[in-house]
Amino acid sequence: MKQITIEVTVNGTKGKLTIDPNKRLLDMLREDLGLTSVKEGCSEGECGACTVIFNGDPVTTCCMLAGQADGAEIITVEGLAIGGKIDPVQQAFMEVGAVQCGYCIPGMLLTAKALLMKNPDPTDAEIRVAMSGNLCRCTGYAKIHDGVKLAAKMMKEQQKEAVNE
Amino acid sequence: MIKRGHGIGCMFYGVGNTGLPNPAAAFVEVLADATANVMIGAADIGQGIATVSAAIAAETLGLDYIDIHVTSADTLTTPEGGATSASRQTFITGNAVKNACLNARKELEKTAAEFLNCTEEELVFECHEIYSNKDETKKMTYAELMGSMGKLGRLAVGAGYYNPNTTYLDPNDMSGIPYEIYSYATTICEVDVNTETGEVDVRKVVSAHDVGTPVNTAAVEGQIEGGVVMGEGFVLFENIEVDKRTGAIKNPEFSKYIIPTTMDVPEIYPIVVSSDGDAGPYGAKGVGEPALIPMIPAVTAAVEDALGVKFRKLPILAADIVAAVKEKEAREKEEAENK
Amino acid sequence: MSKEYSVLGKSEIKVDSLEKVLGTAKYAGDYDMPGMLYGGVFRSTVPHAYIKKLNLEKARKMPGVACVLDHTAIPGINRFGIIIKDEPCLVDDKVRRYGDAIAVVAAETKEILAEALEAIEVEYEEIEPIFTIERALEEDSPKIHGDSNIHATKHLEHGDVDGAFEKFDVIVEHEYSTHRLSHMFIEPDAGVAYIDENGMLTVVASTQNPHYDRGEVAKMLGVPTNRVRVKQATTGGGFGGKLDIGVQLHCALLTYYTKKPVKIVRGRKESTTVSSKRHPMVMKAKTGATKDGKILVTDIFQYGDTGAYASYGPAVIGRSPVHAAGPYDVPNVRVHAVFTYTNNPMSGAFRGFGVPQAAVVHEGQMNAIAEKLNMSQFDIRMINAQTVGCTLPTGQKLTESVGFKDTLTLAMEKAREVMDFSEGEL
Repeated sequence: MKQITIEVTVNGTKGKLTIDPNKRLLDMLREDLGLTSVKEGCSEGECGACTVIFNGDPVTTCCMLAGQADGAEIITVEGLAIGGKIDPVQQAFMEVGAVQCGYCIPGMLLTAKALLMKNPDPTDAEIRVAMSGNLCRCTGYAKIHDGVKLAAKMMKEQQKEAVNE
Repeated sequence: MIKRGHGIGCMFYGVGNTGLPNPAAAFVEVLADATANVMIGAADIGQGIATVSAAIAAETLGLDYIDIHVTSADTLTTPEGGATSASRQTFITGNAVKNACLNARKELEKTAAEFLNCTEEELVFECHEIYSNKDETKKMTYAELMGSMGKLGRLAVGAGYYNPNTTYLDPNDMSGIPYEIYSYATTICEVDVNTETGEVDVRKVVSAHDVGTPVNTAAVEGQIEGGVVMGEGFVLFENIEVDKRTGAIKNPEFSKYIIPTTMDVPEIYPIVVSSDGDAGPYGAKGVGEPALIPMIPAVTAAVEDALGVKFRKLPILAADIVAAVKEKEAREKEEAENK
Repeated sequence: MSKEYSVLGKSEIKVDSLEKVLGTAKYAGDYDMPGMLYGGVFRSTVPHAYIKKLNLEKARKMPGVACVLDHTAIPGINRFGIIIKDEPCLVDDKVRRYGDAIAVVAAETKEILAEALEAIEVEYEEIEPIFTIERALEEDSPKIHGDSNIHATKHLEHGDVDGAFEKFDVIVEHEYSTHRLSHMFIEPDAGVAYIDENGMLTVVASTQNPHYDRGEVAKMLGVPTNRVRVKQATTGGGFGGKLDIGVQLHCALLTYYTKKPVKIVRGRKESTTVSSKRHPMVMKAKTGATKDGKILVTDIFQYGDTGAYASYGPAVIGRSPVHAAGPYDVPNVRVHAVFTYTNNPMSGAFRGFGVPQAAVVHEGQMNAIAEKLNMSQFDIRMINAQTVGCTLPTGQKLTESVGFKDTLTLAMEKAREVMDFSEGEL
């Protein structure tokens, strides 16, 4: 099969990839780039385990072709902790006890991060709607919700500190 | 019309396998820098037995939680742990870890007693300190203790296991002791039912669980919250359909087998209840399955209360509610006409 | 009541949280090894049949296919199961459900694997499938295992049930049923097998019981137990659905023959189709109480469908009767339970092992009695609640750690505070 070449920025690094045009974005991230934090749970865009931040929005990569990522900017969980410093969403999820089996967690973190990048102070209802595409079978979502709220608070405090400096 | 209803559901649950031996084991080694390795056979599937084991080891050895490293569920390096099932690991592997730590403590106690010139029985191990409960001036740090151990060529290692005190059940009447200990729970649920669409809004849930002693309170709450939401799905959305000709499951995927999302989650108030007992490690019992069970009758009863109709056949899907409401209205109309 | 502990009772960050939020926790599907093959399973599309012909040759000849095996390749024992060894690793005598494993394939890529599975040909001689408990129990029905479709029966008898039914003031009698459910853990089953640098056959898998898995793999391969290592990968949920062994046996067998790492990742549909389900149950209950609301007696029938294989069925039928009267002090209890085999999906372990089903009945009966006596749902539970000193339907005396009444009163207190109901509604 004829291969295609795409240019994509993943976790801040821009690069070219030559791939099979039938390849799903999920497989490109996991197999070609080794980003195994992106999980496959359902293969039909229902569970949200394969979520990444794609040009600022959370998308499920099991339902996208890799070619659609040409020119795009993608963030996975591997790109959240920069320079060894863990992101507030990651810290908050740990602190509130939002993590059980963990399989949904990368997708949850990225959906939460995408929400907070656009809306730093979401209401409870906004958090519920934003997170509704990510399924979790362990936690009952209660502590995941708490994690998003704590992350929002931590991000605000970080910003204040940055301004003060 | 929106109708509000409330329901209560209770349960008890025997921890561990029913009337059968079901042991689990652990290994422990306290290292020269006063950290420890704990090896358990139990599988941590996210519920937190590795976390629970670290806490129990720290408590028993007198170290901090962060001083413990747990390796789990690898047959090359860990002993038999049995299944992660029957809400048994906190109780059984927890006791195994405690026993392993008590065995590892024997050499530590001997060494500390010699150093402090007191008996082994009066020693307390707590937060990196070892002291006499008769004379608190007799104390030493863990670093000093491990230094003495090193000089004397002694090692603090222990293996331990636990098998619940049960009996086989009589084959004729099931009499006997099926479990050593039971967990208890009560769940109360508030719902709003839309009588036109059959939609149920589970608004609030209080779920109180007697776990003996909570080892990690947030983890216990996490189990309770997860159980509440799984119980909601059990009664109101989830149903595996089987093809009557091939026996195939007709809805094996998330687009057809609906589980709850964030949009379905009620306000959940988990209540962690303690009770006195010596069977569990520091009195701890299981909560994994109890977390789910009482929500099922509670949400069922709440829907029944809202509508004044009994549902003895689960699930209660939206279509069942609409049908039940219509049937009730027709019955009431008929009764009114007969009057 | 609770003692002060220096570590226990706090909410420390769980030991596995950091690797999970960093995305570095390794689930079985995340393993990638040099020379690794992709494994898959050819499964039945009929519920009950003899296999007349199985043609593996086309698949075997395809370039990039390393290995295609059926039951004749199994060096050891081709039967497994946590309690009763009634399930084959690969079908030898007959198919007992939709999705039974018939052959396994290892190939160099996922694409070749899919094509090879498509190239396998099978001819069935179908047998009447059994999908209901009623049909399973009929004398002339085909037998799924051995000479009876009864998987197990249990009988619990405590006190004088018949005598007690002469003394009640109120009685309620109802039939209940609960349905088949799926665990729907978010991570579908997966595993990878390889031979390590010391020659040890190793399986890394998503599992709830690695030591059990090790024993089954060793028996299937006919090697000593200490020549097999099973290591649990980080596991994406279980709820009982990853207690049965499956992937582990299939990838171990393929590695045994190819000497190469073999990874099997079930797709969502395959995972849901093949893993165990919650036992659907039909239960009939007759309960008698005094006019003060004291439950005197309960008599319960439980029927369950364990599907094509026993799996954890024996654990469910063992547990459900002893919990059937609920957390209450009931002096006279009789429970009769019958589970049958059918050609339906296999029922097994699912969070609660038959107690959720039992609870639907004991709570339904409790509320029915309360309604008859015009008593609150809360009060009738307080009157009957187990306490230390009670004797259970098994004859066991409770000696410690019975916090049931505390859960009732604390839950009610909180509910009154946060919910909108008037005094006495519950």
